[in-house]
Amino acid sequence: MEKLYCTIYIVDISQNPEEEEAVTSRIQQLIEDHGGIIQRINRWGKKRLAYPIQKKTHGYYVEIEFTAKSVLNIPAILEQEYRVNDRVLRYLTYVVDKKELIQRAKKAGKKAEKEAPAAEKKETPAAPEAPAAEAPAAEPEAPQVTEPAEGENPPVAETEAPVTEEAQEAAQENEEKKEEK
Amino acid sequence: MLRWKKKRICRFCEAGDVYIDFRDEKRLVRFLTEQGKIVPRRTSGNCAQHQRQLAKAIKRARHLALIPFVSDIPR
Repeated sequence: MEKLYCTIYIVDISQNPEEEEAVTSRIQQLIEDHGGIIQRINRWGKKRLAYPIQKKTHGYYVEIEFTAKSVLNIPAILEQEYRVNDRVLRYLTYVVDKKELIQRAKKAGKKAEKEAPAAEKKETPAAPEAPAAEAPAAEPEAPQVTEPAEGENPPVAETEAPVTEEAQEAAQENEEKKEEK
Repeated sequence: MLRWKKKRICRFCEAGDVYIDFRDEKRLVRFLTEQGKIVPRRTSGNCAQHQRQLAKAIKRARHLALIPFVSDIPR
């Protein structure tokens, strides 16, 4: 089955700042040689580690996303490489969940919406204020500026459903608590 | 006996989030104690699904040194 994997690793660049490129090209090659297709390479850059690893306080984070058939077992191959390569401080490889993709799409949608209405709103206030018929139509648009979390028409239906479920759950939990007491 | 302050709304449900990403550590830190422990559900008010996701995200972030395993207050 074709799966989307994500692998993140931390490279030690305290000795040689070009180490990261060497490791990345090696990993890339490994993935491609074994039949994976690289979708995205995201370099987070040099970051401070939350706790020292092998006495290093900083590391270079690289994230690679690739698709591959699960039969090929690429994560195992990568792990072998990571273990042998002593420039890699930490690594994490996982199968990307469907939910993560949904969340990413949502985020991207929000961003697009944020930018789009901003441009629209500049035009609307200058436009007719006097006509009473258009006033109610303009109002529902206005609050969207303050809460960009809410999407336009189609996402509203999505967001409403979980809220009601949540309310039910909360009520149930409250009841359980009462019983406990 | 009154226990801790009760906040019975799951913040992730409120925001309509489906997945909790381990990459944004700023968000995860809010669900950690000062020591770096995961805040229990009864305190944070998270729903079960999101608490499970959160725990997983925190553990992944810890592994990648985005969040500390323990952060002691220097005395």
